[in-house]
Amino acid sequence: MTSWMVTYDNSGGAAPEAPTPGFLARTLFNTGHKVIGLRYLWLALGSVLLGMFLSLLMRIHLVWPGAQIPFLSGFGSTPERYTALTIFHGSLMVFFVLTTAPQAGLGNYFLPLQIGAREMAFPALNLISFWATAASLGGMTAAFFVQPDAGLTLWTASVALFCFAALLTALNFTVTTLDLRAKGMTLPRMPLTVWAWFINAMLSMLIFSILLAVCVFLLSDRLLASQFFSPLTFLSNQPVALAQSTMLSLWQRLFWFFAQAEVYVAMLPCFGIVSHLLSTFSQKPVWAERAAVLALCGVGLCGFFVWGQHMFSSGLNPWSPLVFSLLASSLGLPACVLVLSWFGTLWNAKIQLNTAMLFVLGFVSLFLAGGVSGLFLARNDLAIASISDDFVTGHFHLVMGVAATFAILGALFFWFPKMFARRLNETLGKLHFWLTFAGVFCVFMPMHWLGLMAHLHPAGGDALEITPLGASLRTFVTFATILTVAAQALFLLNFVWSLWQGERTDDRNPWRATTLEWSVPSPPPDNNFGVIEPVVYRGAYEFSGTGAAVDLEPQNAAPPASERASQLKPAAEARAKEC
Amino acid sequence: MPGTSIVEDIELIIEDIGGGGGKNPPPGGDDGDEGGKRRGPQVPSSRRYATAIVVAIVSIVMFFMAMASAFLYTRANSNRWVPLHLPSVIWFNTAVLLLSSGAMELSRRRLSLGEVRQFRKLWFAATALGFLFLAGQLVAWRQFILAGFYVSTNQASSFFYIFTGLHGLHLLGGICALLYVSFRKFEKAKVSRTVAAEVTSYYWHFMDGLWIFLLALLYLGK
Repeated sequence: MTSWMVTYDNSGGAAPEAPTPGFLARTLFNTGHKVIGLRYLWLALGSVLLGMFLSLLMRIHLVWPGAQIPFLSGFGSTPERYTALTIFHGSLMVFFVLTTAPQAGLGNYFLPLQIGAREMAFPALNLISFWATAASLGGMTAAFFVQPDAGLTLWTASVALFCFAALLTALNFTVTTLDLRAKGMTLPRMPLTVWAWFINAMLSMLIFSILLAVCVFLLSDRLLASQFFSPLTFLSNQPVALAQSTMLSLWQRLFWFFAQAEVYVAMLPCFGIVSHLLSTFSQKPVWAERAAVLALCGVGLCGFFVWGQHMFSSGLNPWSPLVFSLLASSLGLPACVLVLSWFGTLWNAKIQLNTAMLFVLGFVSLFLAGGVSGLFLARNDLAIASISDDFVTGHFHLVMGVAATFAILGALFFWFPKMFARRLNETLGKLHFWLTFAGVFCVFMPMHWLGLMAHLHPAGGDALEITPLGASLRTFVTFATILTVAAQALFLLNFVWSLWQGERTDDRNPWRATTLEWSVPSPPPDNNFGVIEPVVYRGAYEFSGTGAAVDLEPQNAAPPASERASQLKPAAEARAKEC
Repeated sequence: MPGTSIVEDIELIIEDIGGGGGKNPPPGGDDGDEGGKRRGPQVPSSRRYATAIVVAIVSIVMFFMAMASAFLYTRANSNRWVPLHLPSVIWFNTAVLLLSSGAMELSRRRLSLGEVRQFRKLWFAATALGFLFLAGQLVAWRQFILAGFYVSTNQASSFFYIFTGLHGLHLLGGICALLYVSFRKFEKAKVSRTVAAEVTSYYWHFMDGLWIFLLALLYLGK
């Protein structure tokens, strides 16, 4: 332990005696926030591997429709099964990876630690929320294997269950951040990760109730024969103009109200993580920290209002596409503030280019590349022109899917020593990073191109049939996918090997970070801070950036005696007056 | 390691920094936890329950707003909308629910005066009126069915059943909370009776307001 650190542990005095919990209380019904956070991460890891595997299957069937893969082809060889593959892949990735891992996984583990709390506000609700999420994952997996009709009902019920779990998690996060902060942890002193989790929890609170309501409508339609969306099946057989004008539009409105904001639910915690890691590995304060916090709020707020940008061609009031288009473009403003803040932090910094930092820089690169194509999609006239699905697929995979995954991976490399007291292997990590980084650009950039090619042939039909170039692009994408997925084996190997055999870290704070989680032993004890109450004296990013031996101030480091005396004076005077 | 071992010193500084979250409730406050023996690390503050119910109410509002907007949208755009005739018992139910809210307020006033017996009586009355409301809603369903309106009959009847049904489900949760306040032995609980009654009353009055809103929607939008 280095001398500049203020640390908490149990050595200071006897911890209060707690009865030893029983077997079930320690395993299935463990309400500890770190245990639950880790379980969410395991769940997300399983889901991401399965989801990646499904995308591989889809790409293979897309290029070689007749390919027979032993055992697996049965799941994806007919058009219906291909649709089921797509739904399952999307549900897994959006719900159980992008929504779950950065918020419920990393957030549950580190939010209480970073604000100096010993537990989430409602541990029992947290436990219910986790098991509901797990049950929802089980339900969706089962839905993939049963008959399409029953499968869809089961899938809808699973989504409803997931919404319920997400709402409980969001409630817990909001209350924990508002009411359980340690002494001295004022709002401006909160790390940006905590800000992001907090804003994200509030956004989730608002939008998952919408999706829950939609799921209730759907289930009621399917099970009770009510008439909320039921004309949908009737109208889908009617001419397009008629179908668009009535019921279909209701479903679109409600769905996109959720789904567009869901993109920001996946991204917000990643923004927080990226700002936090960039600052730590640059050993510099977050540039324009206050503006970055405001930008996070702005992303949350704008994200809530841009749902109409998916419905430009669905018969809205002629003025509303203009409004939504403006709102969608105005999202660029907070995004620009964040990007500027990241570059400002990096400016002139002595960067530690380890794997965590590489992934975070990869995030910035992917976010910028994907964000630029988002500007095209925010224009209402381009949506009416027939840019095909491939463009949209390339856009949101880059900016949402892969970028968020990079932030999660960066966070994992960053916090791994805290969670397991071991480091992930750097060589394997860097190799994995470069292969994945090159791989995802090779997969998703040609997709943009494919999308624009369809635009050249507005008569419709498949790009594959029209141009040989389109066909070879698709084959290229599929090969790139195979290589990228194969590269993930490196990560899996690194992860599993490091869990058991990785380099041990005895240092509590190997990255020289300032936030509270680094002041406790690794892995943190059950009650996080031992017998002493954590106290916070300063902001989250007090790096001096001068390269001196002690160039950072942990949040819990008390100010020097001289400053303290000047702070104590007024209090002492007040006390003297009272006497 | 400066500072960490001298607890009084830290507290002095904190008073000056004007600490952020985790402020303890004022001494002699209403939380049962503040009693001496549980004064271990981080005494759970009662504020979290009030915060949680407010956040939960916001979320439930969004849930019903999604449904209300679907109602208004369908009402405005559907060409097969059949007007709805609300069963008459629903007005009686509304009065019962309003009375229940009133009884709860009177009951809380008794509790703040320290008259626990009176509090219990009135609280029980509020709970009973809550049950009566739910029973009345079932009668309303019965009347509706006898008039030939089922969930699947038309769009308006679908909305009627989903609104009343989901409101009833949320109200049932409220009744559970009312029963909790009635029967919990608060000497051992993490939360005091006053706080539990207050938090429950927020939710109960919200259920009241939500019902008025849904009724107005169904009545005016028929």
